[in-house]
Amino acid sequence: MSAEGGGHGAVGPLFDIPIIGTEYHLPIYDFVITSWVIMFILGFTAWLASKNMKRLPKGIQNVWEYIVEALFGFFGGLMGDSRARKYGPFLATCFLYILLSNYSGLIPGAAMIRGFTPPTNNISITAALAILVFVSVFYYGIKAKGIGFFKHFVQPMAFLLVLNIIEEIVRPVSLSLRLYGNVFGEEMIIEQLGHMMPFLLPLPMMLLGMLTGAIQAFVFTILASTYIAGATEEHH
Amino acid sequence: MELASGLIAIGAGLAVGIAAVGSGIGQGIAAGKAFESIARQPEQTGTIRTLLFIALAFMETLTIYGLLIAFLLNGKIGG
Repeated sequence: MSAEGGGHGAVGPLFDIPIIGTEYHLPIYDFVITSWVIMFILGFTAWLASKNMKRLPKGIQNVWEYIVEALFGFFGGLMGDSRARKYGPFLATCFLYILLSNYSGLIPGAAMIRGFTPPTNNISITAALAILVFVSVFYYGIKAKGIGFFKHFVQPMAFLLVLNIIEEIVRPVSLSLRLYGNVFGEEMIIEQLGHMMPFLLPLPMMLLGMLTGAIQAFVFTILASTYIAGATEEHH
Repeated sequence: MELASGLIAIGAGLAVGIAAVGSGIGQGIAAGKAFESIARQPEQTGTIRTLLFIALAFMETLTIYGLLIAFLLNGKIGG
């Protein structure tokens, strides 16, 4: 459901999937369908690229090898190459998913056609991504360091325990709100400008939307990788 | 009631307006220092660029909080 802001009413679910054995339904909203489409595009092109892998890549395998090499090289610069290989897939998926879903708002008919809304337009999707990052920090930290992972809460001094706990909890909140606010705010401004003067006035805002969409995907991934790197760093 | 609607509208406008001032000044200072340090050491441009983006994102978030409050208040105008 989208937030009610500026006269933009909440849109109902497209259809419901009944959960067998209980009285409840699982409502399928517009952005869930678009999310499935993005997942399908990413998964299908990746599968196509890895079907008959040749030594000298060409075509779609070339594109994917370029993307993977650029992303993993970038994470290697942040975390060191061995950790980039372990945690790279999750972070690269986050980056590509957020990038594609931010740009899907620029395709004509984005919020108009029933069943096609950019997923990051919505606090539920961004909160889900932020919760994933939060859980993955704990999971990778405990996998790398065992129970000693919890020692970093009292790290410089013991009385900073409350501050460290608050900081850990605020991180997913700020991650989700940052992504949601940027994308939803951009879309709302484009819609209001479209009401004022269609076709001409939204154009500079859409160019700005391309820039901030890429930057927000980039920043989300950098922050996620910084948190994971901070949680799994070796003793020094 | 009209007085309440007017006050909510003023609140929404002030929320994002004042939030933008702080982050505008802060991001300007951060970017200025980043440019100076790139000019002093051009071989560190990659590291400085990454850190600059992280710092700008942190400051931008505070303005986005203001924008979200403005949207929430905007939805409450008119009862």
